[in-house]
Amino acid sequence: MTEAVAILGTAALPVGKWQTAPGVVPAVLEHEVLAKLVMEAMADAGVDKSDIGSMIFSLARPYTQQKYFATFMANYLRLPCAGSVAEIMGNGMTAALAFQGAVDEIRLGKAKVALALGVNFETATSSADHMMSSMRTTGDVDFHVPFGFTPISWYAMDAARYIHEFNSSREELATVAVKNRAHAVLNPIAQYRKPITLEQVLAQAPIVEPLGLYEVPGRADGAVCIVLASEDVARATGRPYARLRGQSFFHEGAHQINEVPNDMIALIAAQTAGRAAFAQAGITPADIDVAELYAPCTIVEVLASEAFGLVPRGQGARQCAEGQTSLGGRIPICTSGGLQSRGHPAYVTPFYSFVEIADQLRGRAGARQVEGARLGMTSAELGNYNAAMVHILEAVQ
Amino acid sequence: MTLDIVRVDRVRAYPPRVTAFTQRFWDSVAQGRLETTVCEDCGKLSFPPKTFCPHCWSTRTRWTGLSGHGRLYAQTMIHAAPAIFRDEAPYRVGIVDLQEGLRIATRLLSDEAPKLDTPVEIVTLLYTDGPLFAARPNG
Ligand SMILES: [Zn+2]
Repeated sequence: MTEAVAILGTAALPVGKWQTAPGVVPAVLEHEVLAKLVMEAMADAGVDKSDIGSMIFSLARPYTQQKYFATFMANYLRLPCAGSVAEIMGNGMTAALAFQGAVDEIRLGKAKVALALGVNFETATSSADHMMSSMRTTGDVDFHVPFGFTPISWYAMDAARYIHEFNSSREELATVAVKNRAHAVLNPIAQYRKPITLEQVLAQAPIVEPLGLYEVPGRADGAVCIVLASEDVARATGRPYARLRGQSFFHEGAHQINEVPNDMIALIAAQTAGRAAFAQAGITPADIDVAELYAPCTIVEVLASEAFGLVPRGQGARQCAEGQTSLGGRIPICTSGGLQSRGHPAYVTPFYSFVEIADQLRGRAGARQVEGARLGMTSAELGNYNAAMVHILEAVQ
Repeated sequence: MTLDIVRVDRVRAYPPRVTAFTQRFWDSVAQGRLETTVCEDCGKLSFPPKTFCPHCWSTRTRWTGLSGHGRLYAQTMIHAAPAIFRDEAPYRVGIVDLQEGLRIATRLLSDEAPKLDTPVEIVTLLYTDGPLFAARPNG
């Protein structure tokens, strides 16, 4: 029932603009892209097609023409499954829930090997049109949306509050974007890889004050396949793997804002889920060697790193500015480049976090390698971190 | 308490849906009153108004008036807006803690960014097709 589960193989599409507009020849189509990644991830894992018992997909965007994508893929791959074939949806947490779904298939004995996989194609739709849909995903359609809130406007208000409470500044928060870009420069699958300076970040057009273009995520396409296996299967391959050591989820029962005034920027759900995951893993935040946090905007990385106890409360921005969260620093955060620079194909974004941590723990992160990384963590969220999901992974060589 | 009524000479970009239950809320806003529901069992307020109490799940709730006064908890100016709000951008929104202990989010009427924690008041925005509400500094 509580079988240990390992990440054994991964493959990811470089984050960027891949989707072709309707009618364009040649079209770039989701199923062809994902099937190629399945082949690559399985080669990386070193297990056989017949070992796979389950496939848990992240839901595709509504712009994906092929509906019932999971069962379509089961046919396209000619893969009979005795476990589950399903598509999962949970806002920005979608891919983390799909990952956890695959983990649970193995834990429940439904499969020895399970795939967590999916594709997020959306860039052929304009941002103004996409926002007509995304504005209805955060807050309340009748009591918030009529005022014009957008998903990242809630994070911008976090930033305003953080600056106010902790005497921080936009400049200090913006160092997160510079740090993440420096990481992305070293990541072959990152969307934005040209180095940027703090002056350049501050000079960008405002998007949601105080955040400008480089402090918020761009839009992107992406696709990932992760091969998960029971630890006995992983061990038998003789290859390095990342063992799941702790996992937790918490939803605070509020969406965007809490109608009972609370400390909005404490991220209670992240604090709660983090504590539970660390306890389950039998470690403390100080034991983490590398963290890949779900943080659409600079401010969110600061708040999440504080909520998880990786940096002291109120000092997240300052410690980033000092280089403590950079590669080579005390606790490297978002070595992939994070959501601002590695990129944010929303429904598969947490998959990319697992790919980065698996690379780090298997010593395959190249120029981004955190020396001797043994324990890594990922996070994912819903709303304004009203829910958080945390995974703690451990290197097994 | 009555809310100041500010007339806006256009239609609402994205009007709220009005149910048989929430109609009273919007009708009251149009007349300059901010109301919500309170639980007859545990005494807690909720917002938006509901037919039940989200705290104790009692179904005994009643309408009650709110002062419309509070403090600004957070705010931002939105420059990148959805297509339907494009002609209003940039516009300011904020989170307000009402003095009754409720947190709401709404449009913020202020050219400058108000300092956080300063007093704000809720006003009725009367568009040509119906009401919304907003906050504005009153300190
Ligand atoms: Zn009650």
